[in-house]
Amino acid sequence: MDFYFGLAQLIGVHTLLGLSAYIVLLTGQVSLAQAGFFAVGAYAAGMLTVLAGWHLVPALGASALCGGALACAVGFPALRVKGLMLVIATLAFGEGVRLFFFNFDYQIAKGELKVGPVGGEGFRQIRFFPENGWETWEVMLFIWVFVAGAMALLWWFDRSRYGAVLRAVGEDELAAQSVGINLTAVKVSAMTVGGAIAGVGGGLYAHYTTHIEHASFNILLATFAIAYPIVGGLRSVYGTLLAVIFVQGILVEGLRFMGDWRNLLFGALIVLAMNLRPSGILGKGRHA
Amino acid sequence: MLDFLQAVSDGVLFGATYALIGIGFTLVFGVMHKINMAYAAASVGGAYAGLLVLQVMAGAPPWLVFLGAFLAGGVLGWMVYALCFHFIPLSNPLATLMSTVGMLLLIDEVIVHVTAGMPQNYPAMFDDVMLRAGEFSMRGDLLLVFAVSVLAMIGLLALLYRTSLGLATRAVSQQPVAAQLCGIRLVRVNALTFVVTGLLGGLAGAMIGASVGTLSPLLTTPLTVKGLIVTVIGGLGSIPGAILAGLLVGGFENVLQLYRGVTERDLYVMLLLFAFLTFRPGGLFAAKSGRD
Repeated sequence: MDFYFGLAQLIGVHTLLGLSAYIVLLTGQVSLAQAGFFAVGAYAAGMLTVLAGWHLVPALGASALCGGALACAVGFPALRVKGLMLVIATLAFGEGVRLFFFNFDYQIAKGELKVGPVGGEGFRQIRFFPENGWETWEVMLFIWVFVAGAMALLWWFDRSRYGAVLRAVGEDELAAQSVGINLTAVKVSAMTVGGAIAGVGGGLYAHYTTHIEHASFNILLATFAIAYPIVGGLRSVYGTLLAVIFVQGILVEGLRFMGDWRNLLFGALIVLAMNLRPSGILGKGRHA
Repeated sequence: MLDFLQAVSDGVLFGATYALIGIGFTLVFGVMHKINMAYAAASVGGAYAGLLVLQVMAGAPPWLVFLGAFLAGGVLGWMVYALCFHFIPLSNPLATLMSTVGMLLLIDEVIVHVTAGMPQNYPAMFDDVMLRAGEFSMRGDLLLVFAVSVLAMIGLLALLYRTSLGLATRAVSQQPVAAQLCGIRLVRVNALTFVVTGLLGGLAGAMIGASVGTLSPLLTTPLTVKGLIVTVIGGLGSIPGAILAGLLVGGFENVLQLYRGVTERDLYVMLLLFAFLTFRPGGLFAAKSGRD
């Protein structure tokens, strides 16, 4: 049973990652920096609980703040460029964050052993859950509270004027601008919300795996982040959740019997899915 | 000072391969206004395929391997076009972005699978030659890399500006609809652009293999990122920009490798990109603003 709880934890964290890319995609921007915000959230929350001895909940708040603030800071210069240039800028930023943590050493002595992130080796001993005696299912519930919160928030956005503004910018920037929508404010705010959600996701990820390292936050993770909303379609937040379950639950776990070939199939399936349904699983049909 | 000059010259020579990769990204962008994220992976794939020559014919000379990589790159380029662009409506930019990322992962995994993840030795030419001027020296294999890359660029420019295919390509990149009305077959030009960039990519992959000495699947991510950075710094769609930016990035990273070490150098390349995005978002040779 613990296996399924573990899988549910993974799906929860990846849903947060996907949702963080979803809101940015609504404005028509493709950000490959979400893995970077996720990494910042992971390191921030980990360092606060392990080195500063905080409780996890305020630490997650702090990682949301870090992720959001960084996304806001990246948003301003990066959003000066549009479309494909933004893809490249955010891709480079994400790689930059990864390389930063590859070079990041900050250890303090705690009792007998030294704890903290050590460059290429990563950050071990993020043991908040085991130290406080949390069961796997409790951790899973805790993660899903945040997932539900993020989904409710984005669902509410979609219903509100703000969501309409986001989609208006995504559909046609020129038209949106000409009815008086401030493009920069809309895009940067979407980026900030996305960064904060990714930060929380990263913080949760760091605590349930207990060990993070720079290599986990690579281009593949950034690809996953945008793949979920694109594969699921941008019509609603459920698409993202569905895509995460499809990819992590069915493709990654369900194909485990295929051993090495599984990874091969993953890339091929993305190519196939995009050929058959260019607007996503829940999206419009092929010729819409 | 001498160390500095040495680092600059080695870096600029190696930067020629970045320029080739950057040209591949920029050419596809110019013609189709799309990014082919699988390009660097396909280039490395082409270089790997060149090694098959050694499997078939043991002890084959290195230039035959390079030729194999060049041709295999072209085939891979066509495959990327057929699988990631041909059937997907071009009005949907996210779909082709995603399909090429899928292709990147696929090519990567095929390489890992076939080679069991082990780095492969790559043949080089003139690696025992060393040009010296006092303390200053130039590696023969890097000079060859540079010379081959320059020849490939000249060949590409000749193709673009001296042949009817080149004329058609330039026409499509300026005005696809008008070009189609003049009887240019859009699909054919698009596919041939991928073949041409694929040929360049295969060559670039082989040159990288030859100058590093080994090929590893770990090369694809940094190469994708560097190639895209070169494209942006040069100005999207600009071939002279990509060439200049490739050499610039090559020299820049090698100097920082000298002063800050190999683990940190790429961080500064990203900072260079952000400096450009902030102060000169259009790149060195910005295209005139028009449609996005």
